Amino acid sequence: MTNFYCHSKLLTGIAAFLLGVTATAAPFDYHSVRGRDAKGPLSGVLEGENLAMRGKSRVQEMENYGARWSGNAHLLWDGKIGQKMESEFRVVRSGRYRVALQLTVAPNYGIFSLSLDGQELRKEIDLYGPAVALAPVVDLGELTLGEGSRRIEFTLRGANGKAEEFQGGHLLGLDFITLAELDPAKMAAAPPAAKVVPGPTESPKLAVTLDEMRPVLAAHCFQCHGNTKKVKGNVNLKEITTKEGFLANIGLTRKVAEALAYQEMPPADEDPLPPEDHRKLSALFNGYLEEYLQAPGRLKPVVMRRLNRYEYNNAVRDLLDLKGDVYPLPEKVIRGSSYFNPAQGQFPDHATVANRPLAKEQIEIHILTGVSPFAIDLQAEHGFNNQGDQLSLSPILLESFLQLGRSIVNAPEFDNYSRLTGTFFAEPPNTERNHWPTAVEQRLRPFLERAFRSAVTGEVLGRYVAFFKREIDKDETFPQAMKSVTAAILSSPRFVYLTERKHDAGKEEPLTPYELAARLSSFLWSSVPDDELLAAARSGDLLKPEVCDAQVRRMLESPRSKALAENFARQWLRLDRLITAVPDFDRFQVYYSRIGCEQFKFGLQTMIEPLLLFESIMVEDRSIMLLVDSNYSYRSDELQSWYKDTVPFGDRGNRQRFSTTSQRFTRRTLDTRREGGVITSAAVLTMTSEPLRTSPIRRGAWVATVIFNRPPPPPPDDIPEIEQDDVAIEAQGVTLRQRLVAHQKNESCVSCHQKIDPLGFALENYDAIGRWRDTYQSGLAIDASGELFGRAKFNDVIGLKDALLARPEWFMRAFSQHLLTYALGRELDLSDKPAVDKIVARVLADHGKFSTVVSSIVASYPFLHKTNQ
Amino acid sequence: MILKRTTLSRRTILRGAGATLALPLLEIMQNRGFASAPAAAKPPVRAGFFYIPNGVVQRAWHPVDEGHNFTLSPTLQPLARVREHISLFTKLDRIKVAGTDGHAQAGTCWLSSAAPDQLCPAGFPLRTTIDQLMAAEAGKHTAFRSLELSCNPYEDNRESVYFDNISWYGHGNVARSLRDPKAVFNRLFAVKEHQEHGSVLDLVMDDAKSLNRDLGKVDQGKLDEYMQSVRTVEKQIERVTKRQAEIDQLKLAPPTKPWQAMTRDEFIQVMGDLMILAFRTDLTRVCTIMSSPERWGSPLNVHGLFDKPVDHHSMTHGQGKEDVRTRLEALDHFHIQQFATLIAKMAEVREGEGTLLDSTIFTLGSGISDGSLHICSDLPTIVAGHGGGAISTNRHLKSQLGTPIANLWLSMVQLMGVKCDRIGDSTGALKLG
Repeated sequence: MTNFYCHSKLLTGIAAFLLGVTATAAPFDYHSVRGRDAKGPLSGVLEGENLAMRGKSRVQEMENYGARWSGNAHLLWDGKIGQKMESEFRVVRSGRYRVALQLTVAPNYGIFSLSLDGQELRKEIDLYGPAVALAPVVDLGELTLGEGSRRIEFTLRGANGKAEEFQGGHLLGLDFITLAELDPAKMAAAPPAAKVVPGPTESPKLAVTLDEMRPVLAAHCFQCHGNTKKVKGNVNLKEITTKEGFLANIGLTRKVAEALAYQEMPPADEDPLPPEDHRKLSALFNGYLEEYLQAPGRLKPVVMRRLNRYEYNNAVRDLLDLKGDVYPLPEKVIRGSSYFNPAQGQFPDHATVANRPLAKEQIEIHILTGVSPFAIDLQAEHGFNNQGDQLSLSPILLESFLQLGRSIVNAPEFDNYSRLTGTFFAEPPNTERNHWPTAVEQRLRPFLERAFRSAVTGEVLGRYVAFFKREIDKDETFPQAMKSVTAAILSSPRFVYLTERKHDAGKEEPLTPYELAARLSSFLWSSVPDDELLAAARSGDLLKPEVCDAQVRRMLESPRSKALAENFARQWLRLDRLITAVPDFDRFQVYYSRIGCEQFKFGLQTMIEPLLLFESIMVEDRSIMLLVDSNYSYRSDELQSWYKDTVPFGDRGNRQRFSTTSQRFTRRTLDTRREGGVITSAAVLTMTSEPLRTSPIRRGAWVATVIFNRPPPPPPDDIPEIEQDDVAIEAQGVTLRQRLVAHQKNESCVSCHQKIDPLGFALENYDAIGRWRDTYQSGLAIDASGELFGRAKFNDVIGLKDALLARPEWFMRAFSQHLLTYALGRELDLSDKPAVDKIVARVLADHGKFSTVVSSIVASYPFLHKTNQ
Repeated sequence: MILKRTTLSRRTILRGAGATLALPLLEIMQNRGFASAPAAAKPPVRAGFFYIPNGVVQRAWHPVDEGHNFTLSPTLQPLARVREHISLFTKLDRIKVAGTDGHAQAGTCWLSSAAPDQLCPAGFPLRTTIDQLMAAEAGKHTAFRSLELSCNPYEDNRESVYFDNISWYGHGNVARSLRDPKAVFNRLFAVKEHQEHGSVLDLVMDDAKSLNRDLGKVDQGKLDEYMQSVRTVEKQIERVTKRQAEIDQLKLAPPTKPWQAMTRDEFIQVMGDLMILAFRTDLTRVCTIMSSPERWGSPLNVHGLFDKPVDHHSMTHGQGKEDVRTRLEALDHFHIQQFATLIAKMAEVREGEGTLLDSTIFTLGSGISDGSLHICSDLPTIVAGHGGGAISTNRHLKSQLGTPIANLWLSMVQLMGVKCDRIGDSTGALKLG
């Protein structure tokens, strides 16, 4: 059984919508939704590597010079005396700011003057240094800055007598600029009031009985579903003659209601149901569903979840206040997070990020010596890798947990890597050894509360204090004993499982405040709660809806919320399928890049584009509908060329020396709606293709699963083979589409493929690596037209996007279901329908605002409740 | 796509020999002699399983004749050099669970042959697999209950847990396979690592027990996985410690090459070598190896065989075409070659009066017979080794139509000393002798 609920997308209101009752209003511009304004102060830093680059400005990786540069990179420029390095940064609100610069010094760096908006602020900044190092901070003091783009210029004036030349001139390195707004009162500017729009109209309830409708069923359904020996789709409508029968076969009832809602039945080649009968039948079966759901004890339990390795990493990182990750995580598609500052409410225009390792030598790197991650947990068939029923624990995994705990705290780098070294792990001052346990008890209480996400009982605390005593009795030093205790805590089942206290079987109860805190931090951060969230749990205030909602908003503004992109969005989009995609080397050379004598998959950097779009929607609190159709995107120069140029990268072909370590992505306004959103991103289009041609079926299945949350059933056992090369197909004078359609004449294939394939055919204008084509290679015309659920006809991909935008609840519902599945760590089922209906109604009213999706999920019944089996 | 069949055997063997870590280690054991505990008494019977995904090309698999000295079919040719050690079983079936994915159940149900009425939420039965039944018995004597290995080379996570594992402790509790040879090596031989685990086991067990009181029934089942693991690790520490001196004497070194950089044959041979080492040192008596995961429709490099990556799964659905079938046959041939190489290695490892192979049953198979149709009858099955003399080798045993493969599993389980009279849908033990 796959996602039981995913097939059940019917909502009374939506059903009315699907029937074409509404949807006549002018198209809504989802780009106007912006839940979070950019706000100051621009806390933290504006990274040099993320500033606008002009002329000879470029990014230089600084890792080899020591891990001192913010973001491990700076902006590098070189020129001759009199020439200028020019850039700009954005100020989101006029005001007084304190401004400072972090520059780099080196033997061949020059002396520069500095001006802001044409006004000279410094006459001479000497960047000479005997070695490459960070310069002393240049504090520009308090400045009044107007809203908008501010121009910053460094003019090369000369050089220190000791300085060396660089190509007849000198260099400049800018690590970052800090801006701190000085009037914090302005920060609390009230957010604009949300527009109130009417929710989906409820269709009036119809009183219909089965007896009344049986003649209609007999006339339109029984022929295939009851009269003959072979019952189609295992749906026999004739043999169930009572309401109780349909309530007892609720899975079948759901199937029927869904087929009606999506107008899949009766099939196109049969007489259609008269509208009045359709309405009545829908009301009948929806009524059964509602009645079924009203019975108590329907909530599906969440099986206790073991941390997966991404969650373990985040939890340990936050618990031990580490400066970075515990171990390298190949599942992190984007490396680097200096650009990600959600508190700013404004996603930067530029982001210099590293891709997942392209270089083979990066496979075996360690962050902490001797610390390796345990095996990745695989994604559930139509879900995520956080489902308790699929997260088992074996002796091997227990060994990994035991070893991880020890190896982390005992790594040689640990003391410099954890910010707790001077506090939690440090010997208490002026305290006799025999009083250590008392001090340790005080330290362990809050530590255990956070690690175990629950109130600390005397029993548990006593156990760990006793363990500490045993360690010091072995003559261990204080820090070493604390490390041993920490290693033990990290191996405890109270840490590695997300536990919820459960009582009577079948009883549905609200979560305790601590359990709610744990669900929130897992959902939004894939981590343990922080002090503020724990305080709200401890006082019980977290159970108040307004307190909980405020915590959610605060958590979304934390950089830790990047977990939603790294963990949820990546899995939702199934992005890592791109890793093993191998477009044919000879036909798609631009996918590859030759560096030295090695081939790299340049195309892997396309994975970053949809993720940055997702992050920008999250940070700026925009509408999730931009995931379907956005007028901007983040692309590197190379990626832009990939999309736009007839011959990408010109005559350099794949010999261009692309950086395998980092790429600079820039926000670009798109000039065509063929681009934008995730569906038409090169990453998605490539990973759903075959090496030598597109695969409308794979693409259609991806759209059905990801965009509509209606995954097709598993393919049948006997699948006919289609040529693997479209050149071979076109040589016969037919297109791939014609070939596939001819193949699916068979009735048993048609019923599924007529749902999947149109979604893939709509994308036929993109080749196997996601580049636009007007016709096929052979000159044959591309037919990208189709129909959605028998309702919306479209001619091409823009028409498909329009159809999706015109019926936003389709995508909003699917996205909400995906995110709820992730938030709960379990598959949804029919019992979640009322909750999903409420979430979708709120999301629809807010035009898909991202934070509304999140807060509606948090406020939903299944998120706030638990049940025992 | 060009098939480079002619170069296959030589290159594969060269690669296999040059890059596998453990071959020198095997030599160490042969030449210096491992203080072999089992030498005095009769060596214990060991069970290894070698899984090949997606079925095989039927017409190239089946020999024309039966009985002793049967004629090897084209795919089975690589077994010629070890034919006195193998027996081929045909016409053995598994019950297919209708309505769920043919591939998801192929690996998961292969070693359980559980009946469809034993469904769990996955949609197909997840019963205790026979290797774990064997491990429960054989593991009473060894440091490790069992070893689960996978030569899964994919760096994407396309498929779920049901495609990357063939071993289940019990209902829904997967014995997840290890795919990093270095981690396998350390688990087997890093004695100190194991001993260090010991310090916190009592503590976390107390935590688990007190936690258990607050949990619901299903969650208690989950926590039981944790508690069972603590007990298993306790035993491991005790037994590994006893064997410490012997293990130290071997002066083994872990493999150096990362699995991501290994060729197909290297990866499979390294894992096979680790199994052989674990058997010979009697650290475990039960081991499963997945030569490649089930389905996983991602292209795969089979070095030395094809010049471009191939998608094994989609090839099985294209075998109606001559050129695709030819390539698929070459891939089947490749897997048999890997299997044969491991058999030959075991036949050279001296143990007591004979060789390791004499006391081993090493079974190759797939949970699907024909990948194009997802058929589960007439599953490809080869047993190598003599099982301590219990198995009649160099023969082809064609069973009667409709014989459950569970009958073979039952014989094997009994051979391993497990008291049991039924496995899945078995109707009686298959005669091996």
